[in-house]
Amino acid sequence: MRAILRWAHADLRAHRGEALFIVLATAGITASLLLAAALFSYAADPWQRIFTQSEGAHVWIHTRADAQPEDLADLKGVADVSGPFDTARATVELGGARATVELRAAGPKPPRVSRPLIHDGHWPKAGADDEIVLDSSLAGALWAETGDTLTVRGAGGAEHRLRVVGVADTAEPRYAPGERPGTGWLPPEGLRRIAPDPEHTGRTVGLRLDDPDDTDFMVQRAVTAIGADRVTEVTRWQQARAEAEGEGRLLGLLLGLFGLGALLAAALAVAGAIGTRIHGHLRDISVLKAIGFTPAQVVRVFLVQHLAFALLGVACGAAVTELLGAGIPGRIGEAVDLWRRLPSHTWTVSVTTAGVVLFIALATWLAAWRAGRVPPVPVARTAVPRGPGPLTSVERRMLGRGLPPALVLGWRGAFTGRFRSPAAVGRLAVPLMLITVALGAWTTLDRFQSHPEEIGLPAALTVRDGAPDEPGTGRGADGGSGSEIERLSAAHPDVIAVHPGVEVAALVPGQTGTITLRGLGTDERPYPFALAEGRLPTGPDEAVAGQGLLDLLDVGVGDWVRMTVQGRPQILHIVGRGIEPEDGGRTISTSLDNLELDNPEPGDRGPTRPDVHHLVLRDGADADEVAADLVAAGDGRLEVRRVPNPADGLSAVRGVVVGLVAVLALIGLIELSTTIGARARDRGRDLLALKAIGLTPRQIAGVIVVSAALTALVAALLGTVLGVLAGDWLIDLLGRAGGIGAGIARSPSPGALLLVCAAALAVAVAASLVPAARTARRRIADTLSETL
Amino acid sequence: MSRAEAPDAHSDNRSDAHPGAHADGAPGTPPAAHPIVRARELVKTHHGEGAPVKAVRGVDLDIERGEFVAVTGPSGAGKSTLLHLLGGLQRPDSGGIWFDGTSLDSYGEAQWAVLRRRRIGIVFQFFNLVSNLTVADNVELPALLAGRGPKRARADRAELLEELGLAGKERSMPGELSGGEQQRVALARALVNHPDLLLADEPAGSLDSKGTREVLRLLSRFHARGQTILLVTHDARLASAADRVISLFDGRVVDDAVLDADGDGARRRGTGVAGVLELKD
Amino acid sequence: MRLPLLALLASGPAHGYELKQDLEKLLGAAYPQPNVGQIYVTLGRLEKAGLIEGEEVAQSTRPNKRIYRLTEAGREAVRAWFDEPTDEPRVRDEFFMKLALAPQTGLADRIALINKQRRQYLNTMRALSRLAAGEDRDNRVAQLLIEGAMLHLQADLDWLERCQEEFE
Repeated sequence: MRAILRWAHADLRAHRGEALFIVLATAGITASLLLAAALFSYAADPWQRIFTQSEGAHVWIHTRADAQPEDLADLKGVADVSGPFDTARATVELGGARATVELRAAGPKPPRVSRPLIHDGHWPKAGADDEIVLDSSLAGALWAETGDTLTVRGAGGAEHRLRVVGVADTAEPRYAPGERPGTGWLPPEGLRRIAPDPEHTGRTVGLRLDDPDDTDFMVQRAVTAIGADRVTEVTRWQQARAEAEGEGRLLGLLLGLFGLGALLAAALAVAGAIGTRIHGHLRDISVLKAIGFTPAQVVRVFLVQHLAFALLGVACGAAVTELLGAGIPGRIGEAVDLWRRLPSHTWTVSVTTAGVVLFIALATWLAAWRAGRVPPVPVARTAVPRGPGPLTSVERRMLGRGLPPALVLGWRGAFTGRFRSPAAVGRLAVPLMLITVALGAWTTLDRFQSHPEEIGLPAALTVRDGAPDEPGTGRGADGGSGSEIERLSAAHPDVIAVHPGVEVAALVPGQTGTITLRGLGTDERPYPFALAEGRLPTGPDEAVAGQGLLDLLDVGVGDWVRMTVQGRPQILHIVGRGIEPEDGGRTISTSLDNLELDNPEPGDRGPTRPDVHHLVLRDGADADEVAADLVAAGDGRLEVRRVPNPADGLSAVRGVVVGLVAVLALIGLIELSTTIGARARDRGRDLLALKAIGLTPRQIAGVIVVSAALTALVAALLGTVLGVLAGDWLIDLLGRAGGIGAGIARSPSPGALLLVCAAALAVAVAASLVPAARTARRRIADTLSETL
Repeated sequence: MSRAEAPDAHSDNRSDAHPGAHADGAPGTPPAAHPIVRARELVKTHHGEGAPVKAVRGVDLDIERGEFVAVTGPSGAGKSTLLHLLGGLQRPDSGGIWFDGTSLDSYGEAQWAVLRRRRIGIVFQFFNLVSNLTVADNVELPALLAGRGPKRARADRAELLEELGLAGKERSMPGELSGGEQQRVALARALVNHPDLLLADEPAGSLDSKGTREVLRLLSRFHARGQTILLVTHDARLASAADRVISLFDGRVVDDAVLDADGDGARRRGTGVAGVLELKD
Repeated sequence: MRLPLLALLASGPAHGYELKQDLEKLLGAAYPQPNVGQIYVTLGRLEKAGLIEGEEVAQSTRPNKRIYRLTEAGREAVRAWFDEPTDEPRVRDEFFMKLALAPQTGLADRIALINKQRRQYLNTMRALSRLAAGEDRDNRVAQLLIEGAMLHLQADLDWLERCQEEFE
């Protein structure tokens, strides 16, 4: 054992630079993986993030005004209490959009438990009775921003005006139109102004529990303590999380795959570095064996060394991430800070670091095992790997024509050896491929936002009749506001098409659930579906279905489906598959003329009246402006809403993509350095011969640089091509799994790919210049043993 | 005890020099008194790029304790291969080897390695030293491997280096030494464990005449102290320093001669030294 | 021996015994004890040839010494000896004759001959090694002489190997 340590120690002293490099590389990779894990949990589970950041309450109890929710603070199992707040229900309206809200009276500062995280604006000032902060789901539904003025109608019916001074995120169950009101916070003075009658007020309290798993039991006890007759509603954190989970799933999948890909690339890079380093020791291994090292001891030598490096590197990386990670500006720092407080943090860190160490041990063991099989005869033959053979005729002709010898020799240098150089190219291609996939994701998201019609959202605005119960304005015998809406909308210069539509739930035989049946467009003016397969519906009873529906009913394009709508059967022929971002893709859309739905006016046996109109805007038009114009034109009778783009929720992916590209670039750089080191070592052996041929030191350095550049170029080409293919396939796969449907993937532009290749080439050249120059200027060995 | 291919080429001197020699039994049975190394019918074939080459074809060999044996022959005769076989660096295709009476036929690579640590020292023509260890570490490594404590290893190393005239070079790296110095360090490394057998494969092959003389002097000195040495060389001067010269040709032993102990015989025959300078009348 | 003696006298007159000592000192142990009688005989021949001239010197207790001196002709002869290049040593053609004739006679085996000769060379080499070790390190002439002989021997051994290859 002492001999092993002695050799390991001396080897370390002799190759200090290499050892430092490996330790730093390991630390870098560990830090990157930990940061990636932090970002992952930050982006993939936004609800958890918000809950932790805001110190959310596990249970919300809404009671009548005469309840005493303060007593709940003394219950065993309750760690802390938010509120209790005085509340009142009201309706708010902004620009034609309406929603119900629970107004809460809050103090001059945000509550400590379940603190609303203000991401825009500020908390209402004390005493300002016309200021309000909305929760983000409500603000999104109303398209309200800081500075807008809402019209609030309380239980008494009087209208008040409130100015939005801030928008905040909470971990409470979100606004669901018709089911649950949104939340708004305002000073007690404002609440009294709007709901002066205490009969119409209530109280709300949030409980933060010691043991989140004990929620059911705690709810029971709390309700008992307050009195079941006084409790109006109870919501739990599981509900809130489930509601928020839907949109996180796709993101989670995406990030998970990215993470795995990065892990694979890192693993390859580390394995490559270790393998190359051990390969460089072949001659010494022969001598060691001749001295009397057994093969097992040879393996142990390298294991000891590299395990020490790995432990040191991992410890450094983890320490740096933990201590300094929160200091990184921007989202990453936030993510790390938050991640530290998450319950799964310790476990994740331990698993990641242990995983890295284990992996390095495995890679070292494999490489060392190969090294252990080197014969103990230190002959020149075994120490030098078999070369690529004699110059091919092409190479000879190239040399003859006067091509710089550095180029030809560099070419041979890049592709020497039957196994080592394809392996090096492959290992470098993996991070480049993953970078291309990441770029593909970025490009897809970009297209979502700039060309929403390609993901099934051709219309930017929907217009509904805002006051259907007002006499004279409902859908009546005169064709009603339907045509009125069309006229008004078409009159706007920015609107290029108006499509009538109706949306109902339909029952499919054998399913206990419902799917969404949509009637969009008419036979004369068909709706511009975003088709991924098949064709647009032209004939009678033809429809376009989403991927989710096809999966649910196990049918394909060209099949007939039967469903029950409003008690009546409906048979449709699926002729195409469209991109359907809503409702998990479980929708089927057909022309309005194909449907015979009940009209709201009983006795109206006419054609199905549309209840919503989709407006397709001109490219570049500002949807908010158009919406405001239309509301003004309709005198407040029209309810105009913007169509949400699912890509908006995925904006966190952009940050992750950038981070991922950075990590992959680091991994690629490590891999490149390993390759360059190996090439420089090879050339160093031939130094004498090359000088004898007549190459100047600059040309010799050129050989090394050219071989590194060629390796990088081939790897880049391979990586980008494979990455485009893999990226498309992957994103389509994710789309399919999410129900949106395959066909949403967009490859990165050729310009971007060219940039990636050029960058790889440039980095390879830059990174190889210094080692190449140093090798070329090395003093020629004067003993045979060194040149061999 | 030694059998050569050509039946006439036997050595009459040999039995004179070893009164204790006795007839051997059938191959495979070790004799009563152990020679340090005993090999019977060693065969080794190299499989290279072209046709397989029979490097060693049925060589028998005995080396007694304290003997200095030289193996000569033209290049390609299989000298190095024979040495590799005796040191366990290559496995013979067939044949048996006994070391101090123990059969080594069943030895695996690990067991050979242990044997090389304690009882066999090897010096090659090139690549003797581990390039990233200092001279001191190179010499101490086998001692540490054999299980000696670091202090004792250091003492042994200092003694050997002093003896070989390398006292000031403990901290140098092999790359900084001349060829002759490297070979001396290699010798020190091979001898630090006081092995029963020293195998030297062309130790002066890459040295100039001064280096060759140094190696010669050192080998003779250690031989005088009782070290058993098997030397493979094509340098006649080195070979003549040995007690016994075995000539290999084409993988077989063609001659096994004991040299005159003090060179008197040559003088007696009237040629030799006096003939160095022939002055014409 | 003639011309070396003339060359020795070129540096100054000397008598026979002195010349013997000079030779010994010059060549060292590589040259066996020069025979005094042979030296005197050679000196006599040289005097007859007119290359040296001798002179009697009287001594009180011992017989007269004869001191020799180089003549002009002798000096010329020495100069000529230095000027003309010397022939290489001949190949040991006696051994080669043996080797060439052995198969025809049926009385000797080539391989056995080669082995015997090799042993001879090795023994000689050994003796030369011992000689070189015993000789004074600073006597460069003597050391060079011995080394020259060793190199010749090495060449002879290599040639033996070639013969073995050819005749196997």
